[in-house]
Amino acid sequence: MPPAPASEPVPAPALQADNVSKAFVSGHQRTQVLDGFSLSIDAGELTLISGPSGCGKSTLLAILSGLQKVDSGRVRALGSELGQLDLRALERFRLQHTGFVFQGFNLFPALSAFEQVELPLNHMGLSRDEARRRAQQSLEEVGLAHRMRLRPSELSGGEKQRVAIARALAKQPELLFADEPTSALDAANGQIIIDILHRIAHAHGTTVLCVSHDPRLVVHADRVLAMEDGRILSDRRTHAPRIDSKEIPS
Amino acid sequence: MVALARKTLVYEWRRFLPAMLAVGFAGLLQLLQIALVLGIFGSTSLYITGSSADVWVGYPGTQSVGLGRAIDADVESRLLMDPAVQRVEPYLWVDGDWRGPRETGGVSVFVSGIDPAADGLMFAKALSPALRARLAEPDAIVIDRSAQDQLGVDIGQTATINGQQVRVVGISSGLRALGGVNVLCSLDTARRLDNDPTDTGPTYLVAKLRDPAQAEAVAMRLRGDTAFGPYTTWSAGDFAKLSVRYWLFDTGAGAGVLFLAGIVFLVGAVITSQTLIAAVNGSVREYATLNALGVGVGALRKVVLEQAFWVGALGLLGASVLGIVLMLLARSQDVPVVLNVPAALACIVLVLGLAAVSGLAAMRSLRRADPATLLR
Repeated sequence: MPPAPASEPVPAPALQADNVSKAFVSGHQRTQVLDGFSLSIDAGELTLISGPSGCGKSTLLAILSGLQKVDSGRVRALGSELGQLDLRALERFRLQHTGFVFQGFNLFPALSAFEQVELPLNHMGLSRDEARRRAQQSLEEVGLAHRMRLRPSELSGGEKQRVAIARALAKQPELLFADEPTSALDAANGQIIIDILHRIAHAHGTTVLCVSHDPRLVVHADRVLAMEDGRILSDRRTHAPRIDSKEIPS
Repeated sequence: MVALARKTLVYEWRRFLPAMLAVGFAGLLQLLQIALVLGIFGSTSLYITGSSADVWVGYPGTQSVGLGRAIDADVESRLLMDPAVQRVEPYLWVDGDWRGPRETGGVSVFVSGIDPAADGLMFAKALSPALRARLAEPDAIVIDRSAQDQLGVDIGQTATINGQQVRVVGISSGLRALGGVNVLCSLDTARRLDNDPTDTGPTYLVAKLRDPAQAEAVAMRLRGDTAFGPYTTWSAGDFAKLSVRYWLFDTGAGAGVLFLAGIVFLVGAVITSQTLIAAVNGSVREYATLNALGVGVGALRKVVLEQAFWVGALGLLGASVLGIVLMLLARSQDVPVVLNVPAALACIVLVLGLAAVSGLAAMRSLRRADPATLLR
């Protein structure tokens, strides 16, 4: 799928939260994280949500990705109303349409990089050959073609995160969610991850929603949302597909 | 398909080792316990299984081979009237009080009076022909190797049973008894040792059939005739089972065994499930990630169950190897151990059941693999 030109508005949003509320109860303490929150995310863009810890950005990610139910309001993803799907249907939706990258790489110690990527594909009903072809392709795409027979213990932190990205990418998802993907990495490795996420959004037309407080990511995002106390403070759009010095925030 | 369960088991074998050991030792304990029970209680039917008779005839209501009463010797002619019967032989059981040459105090002995002829039926499988032939001498007895210390005699020495003198002419093996000591002698010697004046006939009559497969049918046919006084018939297999069952269930030993089996199962299941739960917990973030990517909880459960199965299978393998070694060791030390196919199958079912129960318990901790917890 060719990437849509940045200037042309995308007709239907890939993700849409409408008047969403979410609270957590811990003991007698009730914390309202989101209250009447609305947002729409366009397809084929790298959207970054940044903000201090506890601002509700991870909860927002969990809600938009169907990992958590809302207390009230509606969440639509790729035209599906997530609140109306049961647990099995949500799993199926995630299997078909979403990829995840977490702060911890969460790789199985016993499996090689290739197997980590191949494993979820096995469950998608792909043929063995197709699963292997896709695994190979996405590992090549993240630059790990020469390291794919290695186990996590033999890989560096950056390489592990690239395996995790390849695992999500091989599913060819329309939606890719990333939670602090660079915070456990050094500058150079963080940069590589950022470049890959950027490329995924623009080369594959994938909607990438990234939660991070890493300022380096801001440069590459098509849209930057600053969150605090469950509200959006600022919503900036950078219509530059490449690095633009004017957009670097203070 | 990536074999996650097996690859994890191989790569992180140290993590699973305690579970395998727990399953293995639980299996081994069950195996040896069953083998010992079968060996010890099986010896109560040794008189039947060690003989080549197909049909046994004894007093009605006899609960175990050691608890017989005299029947009329004329029943023999009734048996011989049946065309299926090839040969009939009397068997005399006498409870005796042993006084040995050494200070052993009184020892309770079970005297088996048998036909010492070379083609005799009683103990045909358990007694060597040479020893059998020696029993024809007057007052000659054969004792078991395992009881030699208990009786305090050696070959050639004399002792008394019920006040009558006997002479040890041979030592055999595999004739260990439960609750006493087996002493074998000829029918003539046994009659002399029997000081109960009410015992007029043999305790049992044992018959060889032309076709051993007919044992059940012939035993049924010969039963119920009262013209020769009270008697009943059993096929050898039925009578052996009757004797073992009496000891197992009417003495409370069986309940003890079942109780112990339950305890072993429980302890094994607790240790195994705890280890498997720890293993699942160790990978819970990876499982949660797979679930986030849409791999269903059902598929993840299968992985845990498969691991439990392999833990069970490997534990079973270890238990089998160790069990065989230990049973050979026990045999060499005259410890009665017997294992048959149903008992071995019961062990396998029990061990795999244990692994399955543990796997199901471990599966519950997959609930903690909620992908939302990965987002902080």
